[in-house]
Amino acid sequence: MNDKSTWEFGTRQVVYGAIGAALYGVFSWATNIFPLPAAGNVTFRPAVAVLIFFGAAYGPWVGLLAGFIGNTLGDALSGWGFYWNWSLGNGLMGMVAGLAMAAIKDFKAQADIIKAVGFGLAGIVVGMLFASLTEMFTGGIDLNTALVGYFTPAVIGNAVVTIILVPILMIAFAAVASRRGR
Amino acid sequence: MLVTFKYRPRNTFIQRLDPRTRLIFFLCVVLALTIPEIWDYRFILPLFFVSLTLFLISHIEWKDVRRILPFMFILVFFIVGLNGLLSGRGGPSSVTNIPSPVVFEVLWGIPITVSKMWFALTQITRMFTMALLVIPIPYTMDPNIYGTAFKRMGASDKVSFTMDLAFRFLPTFARDFMITMDAQRARGYEMDNLKGGLVARIQRLAPLIIPVVMQSTVTGEEVIDAMDLRAFGTKPRTWLKDLKYAPRDFFLLGLGVAIFIGCCVFKWGFGVGGYFVPDFFTNLFI
Repeated sequence: MNDKSTWEFGTRQVVYGAIGAALYGVFSWATNIFPLPAAGNVTFRPAVAVLIFFGAAYGPWVGLLAGFIGNTLGDALSGWGFYWNWSLGNGLMGMVAGLAMAAIKDFKAQADIIKAVGFGLAGIVVGMLFASLTEMFTGGIDLNTALVGYFTPAVIGNAVVTIILVPILMIAFAAVASRRGR
Repeated sequence: MLVTFKYRPRNTFIQRLDPRTRLIFFLCVVLALTIPEIWDYRFILPLFFVSLTLFLISHIEWKDVRRILPFMFILVFFIVGLNGLLSGRGGPSSVTNIPSPVVFEVLWGIPITVSKMWFALTQITRMFTMALLVIPIPYTMDPNIYGTAFKRMGASDKVSFTMDLAFRFLPTFARDFMITMDAQRARGYEMDNLKGGLVARIQRLAPLIIPVVMQSTVTGEEVIDAMDLRAFGTKPRTWLKDLKYAPRDFFLLGLGVAIFIGCCVFKWGFGVGGYFVPDFFTNLFI
């Protein structure tokens, strides 16, 4: 988790950070039209699985950039505007998920898939907790609304998406990587 | 429906502006509305007309936005507007907390109050104010200057390149997504009729998401090779495009900063700018 390659920020991280952000933005925009029940402006986003996958595959910096920039792009394209705390929360979500990179050796091994999903779920909790709690200061909501109205639905929705789609993405990635030879 | 962005040079006021000015002005308006939480129509309406004016003088042709605008109208009016009207959520808690007369009930006895109706109208106007500033950017800002703009705004080379690439990849992946969707539909995939519960619906999105994501990882390797061959990251980079502020940029930057500071001062200094239902609107229903 603390080895050099995990925290390296080179060409690979720049490119995959940008790709992850663009994909997250496009998929978020496409799925912003399915709001979670009782979640205010929090929306149901299968794109979260893409963010968790990019974090797990390419590391915490990629997760942070993809989450922060991608959420900003997706919100801007959808007309939501710019909510720095939700963008940063999404960045944290990708960053924590990216800590799984050092622990993953084989993308189609069951144990490694569970690790990626586990770190992804931890990232979702950290990121959404940050965003929901900061909403108390930016949105003037109370703690109960932050936890029940924002945090819980967002975590449940994102967790379901992650548990279902991240294993599929990892297995598909393993096949692509083996064909590509790197 | 997703679109592929089309940049085209036009001799307009908007395109003569420095790209940094446009990004900073957009940021000022968005932050002015979101940081001090402005929900007062007396602030939102003038800002809406400023955004609308800037959008109209962008001279974007109807054929360019004929797909994105209806999508945005549907999203804002039917999804956000209806959500606000039915639940009163997505805004300040005062929407549902303040006592407000019930105008009528819908569905299974959901009360539609005057407060919820005004909130829905305010939310729609607020979102259009921000959206109208964003929509013209892909059509009127040269993709070659995204990176330069972020670099000149103080970002590092790597972060500037990340932003630049993200903006460039966005329409490409949107196009890839559309191609994948069409290809899957040709194979019998029913996009408009995803049946089953939440889990089944998410699983059925995989044929749309996986091909686009996997193709993007392959594209990424090619881009990395190209950048490595050009020694990216070994030394600080020079940037081909030079950006200079003109008087018109200072005017718009000043306006943006004034909007942001004004909203903060009114809200935090004088307590003006929060959500309330104006009397003239309440009187319409009593």
